Amino acid sequence: MMPAMAKIQVLVLLLLYIAIQCGSLNVDTISSDIKIKNVDRSIDISSQLVKITSKVTLENTGKVPVKNFLLSVEGGAKSNLAFISAKDQNNKDLRLVETTVKGYDQVKFWRVELKEAINVASTAIIGTESVYTKALQPFPTAITQQEDQLVKYNGNLYFYSPYPVVSQKTNVVLNTKSVESFTKIKPFSQQDGTIAYGSYSNISPFTEKELNIHYKNNSPFLTVTRLARLIEVSHWGNIAIEETVEIEHTGAKLKGPFSRYDYQQDHHSGPASVRSYKTFLPASASDVYYRDTNGNISTSNMKVKKDSVELDLRPRYPLFGGWRSHYTLGYNVPSYEYLYHSGNEYLLKMRAVDHVFDDMQVDELVTKIILPEGSTNIVVNFPFTVTRLSDSLHYTYLDTKGRPVITFTKQNVVENHIQDFQIRYTFPRLLMLQEPLLVVGFLYTLFLCVIIYVRLDFSIHKPEHQHKD
Amino acid sequence: MTVEVQSKAKLSQLSSDKQLTFIKLAVLSMAAILSFATRLFSVLRFESVIHEFDPYFNYRTTRFLTEEGFYQFHNWFDDRAWYPLGRIIGGTIYPGLMVTSATLYNIMQFLNITIDIRNVCVFLAPFFSSLTTIVTYLLTKELKDEGAGLVAAAMIAIVPGYISRSVAGSYDNEGIAIFCMLLTYYFWIKAVNTGTILWATMTALAYFYMVSSWGGYVFLINLIPLHVLALMLLGRFSARVYVAYSTLYCVGTILSMQISFVGFQPVQSSEHMLALGTFGLCQLYAFTQYLREHLSPANFELLFKALLTTLLATLGTALVVLTVTGKISPWTGRFYSLLDPSYAKNHIPIIASVSEHQPTSWSSFYFDLQVLVFLFPAGLYFCFTKLTDANIFIILYGVLSIYFAGVMVRLMLVLAPVMCVVSGVAASSLLSLHVKDIEPKVEKHDKKKKHENNFVFRSEVGALFVCVLGCLLVSYVFHCTWVTSEAYSSPSIVLSARAHDGARIIFDDFREAYTWLKMNTPQDAKVMSWWDYGYQITAMANRTVIVDNNTWNNTHISRVGQAMASSEEHAYEIMRELDVDYVLVIFGGLVGYSSDDINKFLWMVRIGGSTERGAHIREADYYTGAGEFRVDAHGSPTLLNCLMYKMSYYKFGLVYTEGGRPPGYDRVRGAEIGNKDFNLDVLEEAYTTEHWLVRIYKVKPLPNRGL
Repeated sequence: MMPAMAKIQVLVLLLLYIAIQCGSLNVDTISSDIKIKNVDRSIDISSQLVKITSKVTLENTGKVPVKNFLLSVEGGAKSNLAFISAKDQNNKDLRLVETTVKGYDQVKFWRVELKEAINVASTAIIGTESVYTKALQPFPTAITQQEDQLVKYNGNLYFYSPYPVVSQKTNVVLNTKSVESFTKIKPFSQQDGTIAYGSYSNISPFTEKELNIHYKNNSPFLTVTRLARLIEVSHWGNIAIEETVEIEHTGAKLKGPFSRYDYQQDHHSGPASVRSYKTFLPASASDVYYRDTNGNISTSNMKVKKDSVELDLRPRYPLFGGWRSHYTLGYNVPSYEYLYHSGNEYLLKMRAVDHVFDDMQVDELVTKIILPEGSTNIVVNFPFTVTRLSDSLHYTYLDTKGRPVITFTKQNVVENHIQDFQIRYTFPRLLMLQEPLLVVGFLYTLFLCVIIYVRLDFSIHKPEHQHKD
Repeated sequence: MTVEVQSKAKLSQLSSDKQLTFIKLAVLSMAAILSFATRLFSVLRFESVIHEFDPYFNYRTTRFLTEEGFYQFHNWFDDRAWYPLGRIIGGTIYPGLMVTSATLYNIMQFLNITIDIRNVCVFLAPFFSSLTTIVTYLLTKELKDEGAGLVAAAMIAIVPGYISRSVAGSYDNEGIAIFCMLLTYYFWIKAVNTGTILWATMTALAYFYMVSSWGGYVFLINLIPLHVLALMLLGRFSARVYVAYSTLYCVGTILSMQISFVGFQPVQSSEHMLALGTFGLCQLYAFTQYLREHLSPANFELLFKALLTTLLATLGTALVVLTVTGKISPWTGRFYSLLDPSYAKNHIPIIASVSEHQPTSWSSFYFDLQVLVFLFPAGLYFCFTKLTDANIFIILYGVLSIYFAGVMVRLMLVLAPVMCVVSGVAASSLLSLHVKDIEPKVEKHDKKKKHENNFVFRSEVGALFVCVLGCLLVSYVFHCTWVTSEAYSSPSIVLSARAHDGARIIFDDFREAYTWLKMNTPQDAKVMSWWDYGYQITAMANRTVIVDNNTWNNTHISRVGQAMASSEEHAYEIMRELDVDYVLVIFGGLVGYSSDDINKFLWMVRIGGSTERGAHIREADYYTGAGEFRVDAHGSPTLLNCLMYKMSYYKFGLVYTEGGRPPGYDRVRGAEIGNKDFNLDVLEEAYTTEHWLVRIYKVKPLPNRGL
């Protein structure tokens, strides 16, 4: 049975591999049938992330219905891109496939596959969303404790597209009035923390025009440099989750001394520093602990809400630019919410990554899933592309052959990646008895040995007085 | 009816042996569990965390041992401490503690019990106190009987004098050393009573474990020879003692020399000479007895005298020669302070500065031992009434340890077990004496009974006595629990206080500062602080320190003391010389934490001024004209401008600490600070914790030329 199973596994992996390979080798051409009638774009740079949402009106000017179209990202920005998605009019997610176009090696393309083809001479409205990390540069790069943090945004004034755009508008959300400087290309207007550009008409494909905004941004610039998430599944009704978080303030570095007096006296002191942040855990989370290598961190509050558990985490010290911190957060959730089964077949459905703080950016995510001892036929299904690391075994209390561990990693993760992965596996339910039986057996042997030792005389030389008095 | 009674009596008679075993087992295991449980206050109140200072070093070395293996550990040269000298860890510690916990850890890992090494370290001391309880039972059983053993075991389970060093988290040598010590004593008494090589070798092995775990083994290796000497003087020396001691000394000494920190001390240092001398004397004594059996009394007398004089002469000259040539190491300071309590104070400030090296006050005897203080003499009396070899040992042990505990607070730990043993004997003897009187007499009338029956209210007096003793013991239990929970269960790394409304406030500033250092300073940063915090900084912040709690180099510590006591410019030179990047001070003025660096400052001045290079630092300069140590406006200008003062009070002059007081009111010293408005020239504030308990300064680089 085992070799056959192994063969199937290999086959599946091979197919998967081929599929991935094919995906990355996709070659598309830019259809001249498509024209963008209108783009409504909003760039949100009020947090540490750059979130761009656009409403794109596509028009089919060709002779055949259009089933897909291309999304593109500028060569300079593609390394910062963490997440991209597209939705149709009915707010349903569309499938995006990475692709390339000949002659545009620097540009990154996605082919969006439409659910309903756009008929000749008709239009369709598509919403796209993309999130960029580390696109905001603090300038100046180092500030003193009292100063505000200024950052520079450097983007594209126009919607970057392989198709001609007839008309477009861009709204930049800053949430602040204090703007040092910004690109002034008419028509534009500045109002209450937003800058509106446009409309601009008839922009040809792949046009790039620098958009610079230098403004005050005191929102927390926190980067999770490494997030190790450990999920331990027990069939006794509990799933233990432990997250080891390494965090760094990646905003403007702190220049000069840190004065506790000023920081305590004046609550406006250290505007760019992070005193605390909120982490949301699942509503059923219990037994929460928050500690680091030196022990428990006593500065945190927990509020149980209707749909989540809200943790107000305060690092041991406020985080200024360039300061790092590190902690472990763990909790338990009941398994019936995440683990489904029919017979010996099990399905685990859990978040691949969970909320750390609002507008989070995670440089490296490593998720480990420890399945019960004896699980076989493990099939994993990820919501986004990840790098799967080699499986290993984990030994803990009463284990004999070890628990299988599934590990995967992903770079550049944001909140939009809070999605479920699925793991299917087979677990013979009789194996549940193995561990209690082990304990019973051990105790039985122990008592048996004691009984034998007490009842029998093992001495070589018989003492003269066997019994006292 | 009579038949029924008889059959009932028969039934109980049949199982009485088993019942007794069961009761004994139950009492003993309850005592063992109790001794574990009572030490968990700190874990329940705070968390599973290592306490205080030295345990952090032990924890760090244990972690190293589990990660790197024994050979790496043995050859470990630590460059994180005593910068730039470093420290050879493998050769300068007693490895018993680390090896014990690493072994336990590895065994559990092998069995797939995945317990963190920190938790092994935290719970090691309570675990070993459970074992101590059992060994105490065995030891007392050898001395008296099982009843006394059970009482003693119950007593040692909760005696505060021992708990003070063995609560969960107090991961120190003493935690296992007391177990080793009592185990050695148990084996020793077994060996003396039986005279077999087996028990003597067991004693040697237990002694080896003891040597490997604590420097206090010196007490043990002097006590046992004293016992042998006492037996000789009392004419109780026998072949049993000869076999026991000779085996113990030979095997034990060779084994103890395997510990690299001990090395050749057992044959060189004067602390071990009593053991060596007694060993020699044993051989002579045995030899003379052998000769006496084979020679006529007259010849024997002559030979004996001649031999004695030559021997004494050679021994005396050898001793003098060896001391002069330095083969026998001079008596170390700590040992002197045992014999002469004022020695350390007068000669070595660094020894005197440690609070646990201070002489014990009378109140702390009662505090740590309570009812045992009164039971102890009674126990001694009972020991004297039935003098055996074993009883002589315990009398010697009791009397000696009382003396030593009076000299040094820390040695209360050695006294506590013997107090329990002797008091156990006392309580058990007294109880069995009087319980007999209360018991309804079912035995047949005989002569003896008639004779005893001439006291009036015999059973009432007995009952009263048992009640009184019972009350005393109950009060002992309450006292011990109270002391444990109030006095000995604070981790001292986390402080807690009560707010006005009764809510608990946690001051976690130490870990805040250490974590800050760990995360936000360069890997190779050198941190200067007073030596108390050295171990904690290396263990928790993983940074290099200039001095730490292993106070092996007086001049180095003195240099740090000089830096703290000097003016800023002068201190800057010293800090440049020591390559210091950060300076850490403890300041309690804001929250009223009294053991901060300003209160320790006079020791820094004394130690700083005790070496040649610190000759410019005079203690008198830091006092006012009237000879007071004050931080307010009347304080001496030298104090108000020294580095320690400036680091502690930087910007403190602006803070309002208490209502109705001027800003800059120091809540520990109860005074408004005298020098408020100053700036730091060579340092900048790098971090100050939430309650200002720990302040970290960065040493500025040299200014650019021309600025």
